[in-house]
Amino acid sequence: MKVLIPTPLLSYTGVREVDAEGATLDAVLTDLDRRYPGIRFRVIDEQGRLRRHVRFFADGGQIFDPAHPLRADDTLVLVQALSGG
Amino acid sequence: MNDDQLLRYSRHILLPEIDVEGQQALLDARALVVGAGGLGSPAAMYLAAAGVGTLVLADHDTVDLTNLQRQIMHSADMVGLPKVASARATLHRLNPQTRLEPIQARLEGEALEAEVGRADVVLDCTDNFATRHAINRACVKHRKPLVSGAAIRFDGQVSVFDLRKPDSGCYHCLFPEGEDIEEVRCAVMGVFAPIVGIVGTIQAAEALKVLIGCGRTLDGRLLLLDGLSMEWRSVALGRDPGCAVCGTARCAGAVESALR
Repeated sequence: MKVLIPTPLLSYTGVREVDAEGATLDAVLTDLDRRYPGIRFRVIDEQGRLRRHVRFFADGGQIFDPAHPLRADDTLVLVQALSGG
Repeated sequence: MNDDQLLRYSRHILLPEIDVEGQQALLDARALVVGAGGLGSPAAMYLAAAGVGTLVLADHDTVDLTNLQRQIMHSADMVGLPKVASARATLHRLNPQTRLEPIQARLEGEALEAEVGRADVVLDCTDNFATRHAINRACVKHRKPLVSGAAIRFDGQVSVFDLRKPDSGCYHCLFPEGEDIEEVRCAVMGVFAPIVGIVGTIQAAEALKVLIGCGRTLDGRLLLLDGLSMEWRSVALGRDPGCAVCGTARCAGAVESALR
């Protein structure tokens, strides 16, 4: 599936839009980490929880659970919280 | 509305979605803008020009030379002065009829609660997560519509949390407060000048729509701007059932009403 990368994680992928495979959010992030080592830890902590400043959206809705199922034709959007103003 | 006001706001009144009633709603409204920087500049200027009756503008800071690249409410002759004093001069020049209530302080605690409680709409134009969460908590408590914007580098984010509605999520549902939050500041990362202008202007538009009650606001949507490729994306937001802020507050409210 298509994964959209937020600016702070572009240092891993180099491009805004990448491909990854997996049936759940967790699986997609694991595959993403295989392609771009280190990126998973930036969005998931040691306990396997989603980090609070990175949020995940697919198929129009927000995902709160790493086990959330994803389809191959979904677009996964990673959003990092911005605070500047 | 007198003849001068009918003429001044005629291009609004011509719009059937606004008309005299909508413009009168703006004249009767009280908007709270927290932060008089890059986002607060265009937001406050459009609210004043558009005829919002009372504008409360809070900022503790003074105008610095490095602000002038993007904070268009301030000018070179205002460097060193409080931002709210500089803002007051600019906004008064734009529209002397708007009542301005500048607060030269970091709005927090009881003062924040009181101001949010009195406002018809709240615009979060601040630059740090701690204040963003404090404003959100006050808006959840008082059930006030919150127009939230943020920008850094070439990136922008803007949304509306219309907390008057029972099914709307809050800022904490989207970005929960936590110790591992990475604070990135314009002073460190840089910011492309018009990005704050674009996001702050959208905040003004959404606040005016909330006050008038027209159209569809960004409630339930987060708008993301990549200014480098100038591409927009919108993602759907919902309530986090486990939200520590709006979940418990609203449950407590529901229990209170049930007991009455």
